[in-house]
Amino acid sequence: MAASTTAPTASTASSSPMAFFLQGETGRNTRGLLRLIILCTIAAAAVASRLFSVIRFESIIHEFDPWFNFRATKYLVNHGFYAFWDWFDDRTWHPLGRVTGGTLYPGLMVTSGSIYHLLRFLTLPVDIRNICVLLAPACSGLTAFASYLFTSEMSDSPSAGLLAAIFMGIAPGYISRSVAGSYDNEAIAIFLLVFTFYLWIKAVKVGSIMWGALTALFYGYMVSAWGGYVFITNLLPLHAFVLICMGRFSPRLYVSYTTWYALGTLASMQIPFVGFLPIRSSDHMAALGVFGLTQLVGAAEYLRSQLPSKQFQTVIRSAVLLIFVVAFGGLVLLTVSGVVAPWSGRFYSLWDTGYAKIHIPIIASVSEHQPTAWPAFFFDLNMLIWLFPAGVYMCFRKLKDEQVFIVIYAVLASYFAGVMVRLMLTLTPVVCVAAAMALSQILDTFLVASAPTENDADTKQANGTPAGANGSIADKLSSALPDTLRSTKSPLVGIYSYLSKSLITGAITSYLLLFVLHCTWVTSNAYSSPSVVLASRLPDGSQHIIDDYREAYYWLRQNTEPTAKVMSWWDYGYQIGGMADRPTLVDNNTWNNTHIATVGKAMSSREEVSYPIMKQHEVDYVLVVFGGLLGYSGDDINKFLWMVRIAEGIWPDEVKERDFFTQRGEYRVDDQATPTMRNSLMYKMSYYNYNSLFPAGQAMDRVRGSKLPADGPQLSTVEEAFTSENWIIRIYKVKDFDNLGRNHQDATAFEKGNKRKKTSAKRRGARVLRVD
Amino acid sequence: MEMRLLLSLLLAGLVSTVAALSAQGSKLLVVLEDESEKSRYSQFWTDLEDRGFQLTYRTPKDPQLSLFRHGEPAYSHLLLLPPGKGTKGLGPNLTPNLLVDFISAGSNVLMALSGEQSIPSAVSSLLLEFDISLPPDRNSMVVDHFNYDSSSAKESHDVLLLPGKNAGGSKKGVADILSVDGILALPHAVGAVLGNASPLLNSIIKAPATAYTYNPKEEQEGVEDVFATGDQLSLVTAFQARNSARFTLLGSVEALQDAWFDTTVQHSAPGSKSEQAANRAFAQKLTGWTFKELGVVKAGPVTHFLNEGSQQNTSDLTTLSDINPSIYRINTEVHYTIELSTWSVDHWVPFTPPASDAVQLEFSMLSPFHRLNLAPTTTPANPNASLFTATFTLPDQHGIFNFFVEYRRPYLTNIEEKRTVTVRHFAHDEYPRSFVIMAAYPWITGIWTTVAGFVGFCALWLYSRPEKERVELKVKEAGGR
Amino acid sequence: MRLLPALTALLLPLTALGAKKSPGDRFAEYDTKQRSASKAVTLDDRSYEALTTAPRDYSVAVLLTALEARFGCGLCNEFQPEWDLLAKQWTKGDKNGEGRLVFGTLDFLDGKATFQSMMLQTAPVLLLFHPTTGPNARADSTPVRFDFSNGPDRAEPIHAWLSRQLPHTSPPPFVRPINYVKIAVITTLGLGVVTFLSVAAPYILPIIQNRNLWAAVSLLAVLLFTSGHMFNHIRKVPYAGADGKGGMSYFAGGFQNQFGLETQIIAALYGVLSFATISLALKVPRMADARAQSIAVFVWGGVILVVYSFLLSIFRIKSGGYPFWLPPF
Repeated sequence: MAASTTAPTASTASSSPMAFFLQGETGRNTRGLLRLIILCTIAAAAVASRLFSVIRFESIIHEFDPWFNFRATKYLVNHGFYAFWDWFDDRTWHPLGRVTGGTLYPGLMVTSGSIYHLLRFLTLPVDIRNICVLLAPACSGLTAFASYLFTSEMSDSPSAGLLAAIFMGIAPGYISRSVAGSYDNEAIAIFLLVFTFYLWIKAVKVGSIMWGALTALFYGYMVSAWGGYVFITNLLPLHAFVLICMGRFSPRLYVSYTTWYALGTLASMQIPFVGFLPIRSSDHMAALGVFGLTQLVGAAEYLRSQLPSKQFQTVIRSAVLLIFVVAFGGLVLLTVSGVVAPWSGRFYSLWDTGYAKIHIPIIASVSEHQPTAWPAFFFDLNMLIWLFPAGVYMCFRKLKDEQVFIVIYAVLASYFAGVMVRLMLTLTPVVCVAAAMALSQILDTFLVASAPTENDADTKQANGTPAGANGSIADKLSSALPDTLRSTKSPLVGIYSYLSKSLITGAITSYLLLFVLHCTWVTSNAYSSPSVVLASRLPDGSQHIIDDYREAYYWLRQNTEPTAKVMSWWDYGYQIGGMADRPTLVDNNTWNNTHIATVGKAMSSREEVSYPIMKQHEVDYVLVVFGGLLGYSGDDINKFLWMVRIAEGIWPDEVKERDFFTQRGEYRVDDQATPTMRNSLMYKMSYYNYNSLFPAGQAMDRVRGSKLPADGPQLSTVEEAFTSENWIIRIYKVKDFDNLGRNHQDATAFEKGNKRKKTSAKRRGARVLRVD
Repeated sequence: MEMRLLLSLLLAGLVSTVAALSAQGSKLLVVLEDESEKSRYSQFWTDLEDRGFQLTYRTPKDPQLSLFRHGEPAYSHLLLLPPGKGTKGLGPNLTPNLLVDFISAGSNVLMALSGEQSIPSAVSSLLLEFDISLPPDRNSMVVDHFNYDSSSAKESHDVLLLPGKNAGGSKKGVADILSVDGILALPHAVGAVLGNASPLLNSIIKAPATAYTYNPKEEQEGVEDVFATGDQLSLVTAFQARNSARFTLLGSVEALQDAWFDTTVQHSAPGSKSEQAANRAFAQKLTGWTFKELGVVKAGPVTHFLNEGSQQNTSDLTTLSDINPSIYRINTEVHYTIELSTWSVDHWVPFTPPASDAVQLEFSMLSPFHRLNLAPTTTPANPNASLFTATFTLPDQHGIFNFFVEYRRPYLTNIEEKRTVTVRHFAHDEYPRSFVIMAAYPWITGIWTTVAGFVGFCALWLYSRPEKERVELKVKEAGGR
Repeated sequence: MRLLPALTALLLPLTALGAKKSPGDRFAEYDTKQRSASKAVTLDDRSYEALTTAPRDYSVAVLLTALEARFGCGLCNEFQPEWDLLAKQWTKGDKNGEGRLVFGTLDFLDGKATFQSMMLQTAPVLLLFHPTTGPNARADSTPVRFDFSNGPDRAEPIHAWLSRQLPHTSPPPFVRPINYVKIAVITTLGLGVVTFLSVAAPYILPIIQNRNLWAAVSLLAVLLFTSGHMFNHIRKVPYAGADGKGGMSYFAGGFQNQFGLETQIIAALYGVLSFATISLALKVPRMADARAQSIAVFVWGGVILVVYSFLLSIFRIKSGGYPFWLPPF
């Protein structure tokens, strides 16, 4: 009963000189061939538009997380799969270590590892780094194809799929996470997301176990690849639930959903990191509940079809309702009693938007968990963002199961994208699909060569057959539905004048061209600079590369012992591990709040407090990022408050955020700064010797835009080891205990040559006697 | 770190040259005010030279006096005699900073003071760095009206007589290195007060309970605000830095002079007979300790291995397949061995800790998970070291751990041996299989019955083909909604 | 029950004498007072002085607040019941006051002098005076100050803070009393709703099942979210900003921030654009009359062009250096 993807449609089936190629069997083949060629070109375009960074800089990994993925992939390739599976990483989270094999999503690494071995098998020795760098663009080509399939399920128009494909291929919202070198989980996850949705829709339409099983298979792959699988885990059940509520329960739905749930859950439980979550955590309870509901409703439907007694049906209805309510209550009870884990913090903070800031500052502190302002939407989706609602509206025109899915997906995803910047990624596919549907509708209408005449319009009026009637059951269904949209009441006629046709077509074409320009511009300007290399423009317009990160990391790699522990804020953990290959205390996998808080405390306390902490954790070097000289705003002093907050969460009485604000509640670094601020290790390490760059009293912080106190801070427990060219990265060495057992303040004072006061008995009061 | 490295290098070099009896080196620099004083200590010098030290005599003003050459210490040991009257300090080549650097470089210093001469401020400020404080009054000395030498200091009571056997404070668990038989005579001693915090300080000889500091220069009856009294006054003080460099403060330099080496003294207590002073023996012990002849302990190779399976309780380490592995698994048994040896006269001998004391091993991550006493054993295999061994089970906690032996005791060089190992979790195939666990049988049976039931049902279903119209109806049901 | 306030009022004059009394019976007096009132003791300047003068062998927790409506201190009024509840539960917790802790509330009206002497600009402020004599006395007599700046104005965090500050006492656990009334109300309401639904179902169902309604709702939601409404909700941005010269600026400068009004404008623009698109796609081809149709095409096409170019021009304001534009703007 499904409308086949290559359904011949009214638009192109008109007579024309090349009738032979455009009509009948050969016509279908020609169209198929064209479609294939177009898709290949789209894939090529998608890949090509993501290569800016490789061409400009080099084949290098970007950002922060990718560095860990890259390191893990290298480990996988070098030591084999089982070693990777049981990997205990003793170079992160010193001295706790990390059971890495059990706490990551292996999908990405395994994918590129298998590609690597495949190429080796084909005697194509390729460096694993290049595979990692180019994986994301390759996947984006696949994503374009997947979205073609997905959209073709949605609408009968052949152009919709192709439009969706190209939109998906070049939409910045997706490029932002899939340029060459951003080797992140999302790289393959988005492809899997779209393809899983395609398979699900297919399964629901056809109602075959095979498609359901395929959905489960790719769902399992998705689970192994990205934590965002929870989105699917909740969206599919919601779809099923809404369908049931709309009274559209059908054996197709039953078969596809139950198949997907059973197999998919089993598949997801194979990932160690997920383990028993699917039956223990609230994030997955919706799927379980709907599974139960489908069983109930299925049974009820069956009975009802067997015994047609009216009262009995009502009895069954109420019974189903009752059992559902009872089951739901039981679930709530389990959650309260703690058998079922409550919502995980990240997921919960999506609903209660104020939650994270108060309870889990570590989550709130992540930059990509911030809410999205409207320019970001427009920046990432340009004109799609206003085609999007139109497409959603058109889904209501012919509201079949798959259109319902689109509507739900659209509303949910736009909410999530509004709450968290990074979830723009999940919104982009549905936007592309919806926009493509809207645009294809317009094009199909305005590209019809033949103009209708008044009288056949009248005949249409007479026997009001609705839009695009090509005799499929689905259309009969949709026409049989209670009420259609007001805008589609009257029958379809067509466009009369060629002028209006050409006008609209021209306009749309120019908009599309503008869209392409926009995407290219955004990609090349915003999303193609690896954040380890800062690109800036000189006054004369030429590009200036600021390479302090790599400079500092290579300094660490070449001038420190391989086992030297480096303490830094967690943002730089993965990069230090990947580029400098040195053990770190904390890194971007923020699983241990206490350990991070310990680092935060060490950074935000006085030296005398910090030194024992650093000694206990065997810290050899401390790395801080300081943008004051260059005006680089993403530095540690700006992140400092998060360190304080996170530390305060664990030691509320030793670290107080209040003490870092002045009386008037300002966060200052100049001579108005609070003593707590000026004595904190982070402040001292950032500004140590800084005013030696300037004439006396002229020291200026270009980020905070404030003049610094005349005399800079003094350090006694750590000594400056390295400062990069633009002072962005400063590395300090932690001193050993003093040889004579003095505290470091006295030792440094003695080396400076000023004698220690001989405290006379009178001033000292009663002497503490020595007992031994 | 590199100090200990340097020290061990020196040790390696010097075990062969038997001439020097010090474990560290034989070059000794003597700084004295002028050549005339030198003659007063002739026996002392000869004793030192007999023990293989190469003495170099310099005066503070000597231009070619310098502690360092090419940034390395030029001498292994330094002996400072008190500067002459009226000198402000020890001269430009012996500033406090230089001396501290000298010690930080691992060399040893013996500093002798005298109550006769006023102490320059440079010295007292240097001593403050070691948390040793001298009386503010430059000329005061320790006086005791009950334990003085009645033969020499009948009036002034400023020659203290002390039993030599409790030199080095014979305490429980502390190695007895410095005690001598007989009685010690300490004339015109300067008493110092030790900071109560520093664990690096030890008082070798305390003043008796009845002693106090007093300045004979200003004639007055009774002293108000006495600087310190009794056993708070330390006459001979030992300081051992973290890098085991030693610094000794001798309160009375006269005790080293020939005059006091072979004199007979008589204790002031009634009925005590006069006897030979034991200063010479004590001087030998004192210099011996300061210059690293006595109480030198070194750590030999450290070995640890998995004490399970084929290599359980292996005595002969050479047969082990993997020794000192970098990674262990939780809850496994591990064997640890460290070799300790101590320096006697001219070679290394097995080290045994003093009675009621033990070498301890910590297995620690952030905080110790185990703290074990190591049992010493000596094997004929290596005659000049004793093996300290322990066998224990690793904690049920993965992470990066340290085998840490830290042995810091008074009068013994510091031992600090840290070996870092990783303790990993169970690998996925190291858990027992389900069919081994009895409690898992219900579940296993459950699984297989379900599978069988499903297969059976499918067979049944396929066998019994449903009638046509029923299917039709179903489809309509499905479609019609 | 009505007696208790009267009783406290009657006791209040005594506080003048409190200063002369020994700390021991001062504590006893105020303890009985707060037990009888079963809430924090209401203080004024004199009683505050009396209560907090050294020497005292008990600790005092005073909430300096401004309950009067005209001060418009929402936080104070929100927190007051919580504070009284905490005092009640605490005093109920340790029956015979081993904790030796007195809860007091000093309203600005009764304690102007105190507020001025402490130069307090903000309210509420929670001060904790440690005992100056007795076993667990603190060296410095200056009170510890709880910081309300970071939000939590419920009783639990305050209780936790007090327990941290007074380690020597074994602080009684804080249990929120079960609000039976609330539960009853909720249950009745729920039942009422259910019955109403079951009765009114035949009339409501068609509305619920109306497809246009759902379309409108979902379109509104999409427009709201994609125009950055959640950002306003979370960051609590101002509705509109003022430019330098007294006028009103509709658009916040910079890429990362926005105004409330701004988002509404953007949502409107999106709405217009998509409506035009829908009309072009669905309505226009269904027009039977040729002339009307072509006019509609021109109109909608023009609307799209103008509005889109306006949108682009706004975006150029937001992110400088954005190169693209459309006529006429």
